[in-house]
Order: sequence, then C-alpha cells, then structure tokens
Amino acid sequence: MDSAEVFPVRKSVPWRTLDTEALLVDVKGGLLYPLNSVGARIWDLCDGARSVDEIVGVLAVEFEAPETTIRADAIEFIERLAGAKLVSIERRRKGETR
Amino acid sequence: MADRTPRIEVAGLVFRVAGLAAAGRVWVEGRYAPFLSRRAPAFGVHVRASERYRPGRTPRPSATWTNGRFALASHPSRADGDLARRRVAFRAGPGPAFNPDLFRLLCSFLLMQKGGVLLHASAVVDRGRAWVFSGPSGSGKTTIAGLAGDRPVLNDETIALRPGARGWDACATPFYGSGGPAMARVNERAPLRGLCFLRKADRFGHRRLSPSEAVARAFPEVMLPKRDGRVTERLLATLAAVAAAVPAWELEFAPDTALWSYLDGLG
Repeated sequence: MDSAEVFPVRKSVPWRTLDTEALLVDVKGGLLYPLNSVGARIWDLCDGARSVDEIVGVLAVEFEAPETTIRADAIEFIERLAGAKLVSIERRRKGETR
Repeated sequence: MADRTPRIEVAGLVFRVAGLAAAGRVWVEGRYAPFLSRRAPAFGVHVRASERYRPGRTPRPSATWTNGRFALASHPSRADGDLARRRVAFRAGPGPAFNPDLFRLLCSFLLMQKGGVLLHASAVVDRGRAWVFSGPSGSGKTTIAGLAGDRPVLNDETIALRPGARGWDACATPFYGSGGPAMARVNERAPLRGLCFLRKADRFGHRRLSPSEAVARAFPEVMLPKRDGRVTERLLATLAAVAAAVPAWELEFAPDTALWSYLDGLG
C-alpha cells in the first residue's frame, strides 16, 4: 500500500454510525460488520481522496498509540475492508491532491 | 351481502385475502383465527395457485424493491406487489394455498415500510409492558414464553416492533415457533420494556449492550432477506431508532420463573 493509493467506499454499502461506532452491511453476503471507534474513524477517512499516510496521520493525532502500530493496524484493516469489497483500492490520478 | 373474504390483521396491517377456494378459506380462518379482523384492509392480497413446481435446489428467500414495486419469494411461492396500489399477487406452489412463510415475509416487508421490523423473537407482557427475547433457534425463546405463567405471550418465535403512541410497541404475530398455536392466541400489543438477546446458562446474568451492539445482535434476527441495498438501509435505520430508544441486554438465563423478578432488577 503506497501513498498513491486511495480508498473510496463502495456506494452500494449500507452503513450507519451509532455514537462513535459504525455498522456496515455486506449486502451480497447479507452480513453486518460492527466497527469499533477506531474502525469507524478509518471507515470515515476512506473518502477516496486520502492515502494511507494521510489516514495514519489523522489517527495518530486522535488516538494515543505509536504511529507504527497505527500504520500496521490501519493497513490490515483497509485490506480487510477491500477483501470484503466494502472499499476499493484505486490509484490517485496524476496531479490530483486532496 | 356481507364480504366473506378473510381479513387478517398483523401489527396493525390489515390484509384482505382473496382468491382462495373454499377449502383454502377454511384453512386460513382456522390458522389465523385470533388475527381475523373486520377493519378496513390496507392491502389486498390475491392468491393464485398457479406457480409451476420447479424441481432442483430450493432457492433462498428473497426480497427486492424498486420504484414502488416489490417481489418476495419463499419457495415454492412468490408475491409481487405494488405499494401505491396496495395490491399483492400471491402465486402459491405445492403446499398451503396461503404459504405462511411467504405471508410472514410480506408482513415483514410492509412493516419495514411503516418504520417497523419483524424480529425472530418471543415476547411476554409483564405488568402492561413487553419484554422481547431474541436470538437464533435454540437460544431459549420458546422456553421463556413457557415460563410466562399468567402473563400474556405475544409469540414464541416472531414479534413485530413498530412505533407506537409513546415509543416503541411490541406486537403479537400469528407466526409461532415450536410452542405451536398456543403461542399465538392473542392479537395484542404492548409498550416495549426492553430487548434481551438470549444466551442459555445455568444461572442468571446480564450485560447492558451499547446501541451499536444491540443493532448488531438484532440485525441477523430480522425476518427479511438482507441482499437488497434499499431494504438493508431501511432496516439499519429502524434498528438504530429502536436501539436509541429501548434498553438492550445480553441475558443469560436459567429456565426458572425467577426470571421475572431478575428482569425487574435490570434497571
């Protein structure tokens, strides 16, 4: 995962935030994914414009944890979201910045 | 001449069930006796025994909804409806002319349109307010209904939740579980006291659930296929509204009538 990759959420994914947590539904599988507050924040930051570096930067300000831990967890989590087809992994277009 | 077409009322939704042969009408009047109604129907259901039997693997139930029209399937029957015209065509395959599984699916879909939800749950009314007990098969829904004593049982398998005059109500349904017809003898509703997600144990225990935990527990227990994005969006919104308004617990219970005093202490 590099700084040129961004992660738009799939528009067809129903989701809802409750307090600081979130619930996503994989409609194809009929499954519901509950997310804790960190997962919900990463989901929120998967806006199709931010790279993993930018997402980690925001999380490091908002949550108390070593940045290396946050990075590893964020990458693993985004890969799991992509594996469940809840987000896409796309290349940022040339010249595009957030 | 009086209209002898059966009308069935579930959670305030009144269905006029037309197109049944005499034997089918007698069956419906017996099966749904406590739920027969004289109120004006909100939906007309026309039953036709015309669906051709198709051998092969049984398809999963489905619910799709586009531009005010919907299609529901519960093998071997299907229903096609029009929300604006309030009409539903039932096509029954082999089996009862009025397939109860498909009727339950129809009630669930239309209840969702009214901001409610049909839940895999039992419910017991204690001092005028309903405790709803949800969980997968074998979790103890019927066992708890059997502990009700003199308290009214709304059902041991399927409960409708819908917005009432002052908060959420739990409503009886005719879709009983292993407890049989005795678990669907009354067509009543009561204000919702609390939602309990069951876990069998040899003693009592509980844990208060956050709203998101309650939605996550309730979602799989909603009696509606969840493979349509619009259906799922609506369900999430409804369950979130219930979870915000009604306390929910994970409940471990022993099959003992002390349950009711234990519930009093949940706060």
